[in-house]
Amino acid sequence: MSGEKTHKQRDIFVEGAIPASFIAESIAKHASRTDIGGHEIFLGQVRADQQPGTNNHQRTVAIDYTAYRDMANEQMTFIREEAFARWPQMTCLHVHHSQGIIKAGELCFMVFASAPHRQQAREAVAFVTDEVKKRLPIFGKEIFAEGGHVWKTNDLRDAGSSPA
Amino acid sequence: MKVLLFGMIAEKAGATEVDITAVSTHALKGELEQRIPGLDRMSYALAVDRRIVKEDAPLTGQEEIALLPPFAGG
Repeated sequence: MSGEKTHKQRDIFVEGAIPASFIAESIAKHASRTDIGGHEIFLGQVRADQQPGTNNHQRTVAIDYTAYRDMANEQMTFIREEAFARWPQMTCLHVHHSQGIIKAGELCFMVFASAPHRQQAREAVAFVTDEVKKRLPIFGKEIFAEGGHVWKTNDLRDAGSSPA
Repeated sequence: MKVLLFGMIAEKAGATEVDITAVSTHALKGELEQRIPGLDRMSYALAVDRRIVKEDAPLTGQEEIALLPPFAGG
């Protein structure tokens, strides 16, 4: 139907936080696709966690994201192929993840699916969000206000209820 | 062969790559655990040509090898 479904490898990484204006522009770009009936968007935001295991419950002020970029982009291509196989009516799927230092309150992750009807877009976004967290070699150093850091680890025991 | 290091493993090793010769993934892990302090007590995966390899597998030296600590994307 469109170039979206050829699944060529793309680079999902952006340097720094994802600006809200980028998301607005992404939505605007779909105005010409009048076969779309619904968009579903997941946005990951850096949370100012308190670290219970640290002195004075140190507070995260930023996450420094790094990635094994070639493997992450390759894995994303596979996840994209799986998503289009499961939800073939999906019109398009866009995924972006930040690299570098992202401050608490800033956006670091976007999954954006569009489809003729809402159900396909909703289910695809939930699936892709969980698979990215499980399968992409992305690493996060949580930087504390008071100095020091801890390495973030995704809790994958129950992706459905794990913290974003 | 060149082994790429990431996240907390790169931090422990003080480097983003190490050069090691090994004939199999099992032997490679042994070498790496000798070289990188604390690696034997860490949770990590070994990727060969960008795929995670869990079983012992032979290596020719031409592969792209990476040591991956727990993932934290999203």
